[in-house]
Amino acid sequence: MTVRTNADRLVTQVLAGEVWPAMGDRHAYRVDADQQPFLLPGMGAVTLGVHLGDPATGWATDHLEPGLSVRHREVGANYGLQFLACVGNRVTVASGPGAGGVGVVIGQHAYVLVDAPDAVLENVTVGDQVTVLARGQGLRLLDHPDVVVKNLDPSVLEGWGLTTLPDGRLEVPVAMHVPAAAVGAGAGMASEYANTDLMGAYAGQSDDLSLGLEPLRIGDFVAMADQDHRFGRGFRPGWTTIGVISTGQCALFGHGPGPSSLLCGPSEAFAVRVDDRANLGVATGALA
Amino acid sequence: MSTTLRPGAMNLVGFVEQPESSDHPYEIDVDGRPYVPTGTAGIVLGVELGDPVDALDADHVAPGVTIAHPDPAARHALTSLSCVGNPAVVRTGAAAGERGVVVGKRGEAGRVIVHFPQDVLAALRPSDQISVRAFGQGAAAPVAGVTALNADPGLLASLVTATGDAVTVGVRTCLSSQVCGNGIGRPAHAWDVDLTLGHDAPTLAILRFGDLVVVDDLDARTNLGYRSGWCTVGVVVHGPSPRPGHGPGFLPLLSGPADLLRAEVDPDHEGISTSRLASPTGVSPERM
Repeated sequence: MTVRTNADRLVTQVLAGEVWPAMGDRHAYRVDADQQPFLLPGMGAVTLGVHLGDPATGWATDHLEPGLSVRHREVGANYGLQFLACVGNRVTVASGPGAGGVGVVIGQHAYVLVDAPDAVLENVTVGDQVTVLARGQGLRLLDHPDVVVKNLDPSVLEGWGLTTLPDGRLEVPVAMHVPAAAVGAGAGMASEYANTDLMGAYAGQSDDLSLGLEPLRIGDFVAMADQDHRFGRGFRPGWTTIGVISTGQCALFGHGPGPSSLLCGPSEAFAVRVDDRANLGVATGALA
Repeated sequence: MSTTLRPGAMNLVGFVEQPESSDHPYEIDVDGRPYVPTGTAGIVLGVELGDPVDALDADHVAPGVTIAHPDPAARHALTSLSCVGNPAVVRTGAAAGERGVVVGKRGEAGRVIVHFPQDVLAALRPSDQISVRAFGQGAAAPVAGVTALNADPGLLASLVTATGDAVTVGVRTCLSSQVCGNGIGRPAHAWDVDLTLGHDAPTLAILRFGDLVVVDDLDARTNLGYRSGWCTVGVVVHGPSPRPGHGPGFLPLLSGPADLLRAEVDPDHEGISTSRLASPTGVSPERM
């Protein structure tokens, strides 16, 4: 049965954002998981060539952020943007030669992350304005009161294939299960800000780092074991959090491809089903 | 030709903190209930090394006074360079001249926790200056392949026994890396990592301030992160928190492959106690 929601009670807010620079400091290097210094692209600005459905790992990048990395110049307005933008929200480029180009929010990472076709991204650069149609915070699944929904545009639900089973559980297709030991930086932070870095996916680095997560793709829905992200992100046996992979390969140790948190509840509230097509690109129609 | 380098000592200054809040008094606990945090920073009376960490309804409470520096870069250096066991002296105010010992530090913005006798704590006031003799970062490893950090060399020598190629250290308990919350993925010389132990976790009931603990599959040579077959021994520097992803603070002191860094669990093990601190730092026991 299709899940029933309160989507008809949610408002849409028009928010402004700006493509934010990639940033560094004069010391240039950070240290990777195998203790080697690195300087790599991936975070901030406009990142081309990596989209929903593409491999999340295997890139010579750090904190790979596909597409546009968006903030607001004013502190309070930026938190408003980061907290209210939801996965699946429509984004339009509002200035520069790429104006009118359309993309979709795929997650948060202290930036709002916006995927769009390379044909759009090629004409966008740092400082260009974007408009986000923010809708989703406050979304509830009416027949699943134990499941808290975060950061999710209700338009994603149908394409994702969430259903209410006859036994009352919420059936959730995911691409992979994620063990609690993988949870890295982002633990202890607010669930509406940035994401959860997953360790154990350092493609190309030492084997003793691996937790088998290298096959992750951008946009994959994942089930994180023993995680309670209802009011901040934390380890809690018996709870499950469902997220969507919004960032890719990291070199920085303790970091990695990251899911934004979408659904959380006691594990028994979910029937998690592994499905290779459980990807945001399929859910939004960007992927066939 | 290899040369063993001597660690350098510096006098640094920190200022006694006062807890800070936004214009909204509440934090949100793991189950979504608002609470007003108490004990998070500054001068907290009545909390001692050796006390059970879970005896108080407080948030990140530490056994001593926390100090910081108003300049962010100086604050990071104060935090990164101060080591457990370093001597400290009050420079201004009613307690000027009194001597204490560094017993921990905390991450993000950074703060150092300094132990003083209760009568000295009661004579301190926020903004009093405390000078720390920072000494220990860069100290030689007890055996090749094991990294020492955040520990005064004199204190460290009292904790470990080198046996052939390996080093043995006593601890009160052993934890899995999956409990690592806020602080994972951050620099181990500048952050503690919060152990996400639920309020009913058996381990929480036995932990005391100053306990040594081993965390399996945790590599803390630079950033804190998952690495199978490794372990990290650290000290419990602050108490639990109602916030998700937070908990008692674990400050790394030794990290290496588990076959070189051998932690022996002893439920009665005495960690960083006032009597142990008295020896390496020259603080007379009657003043502890």
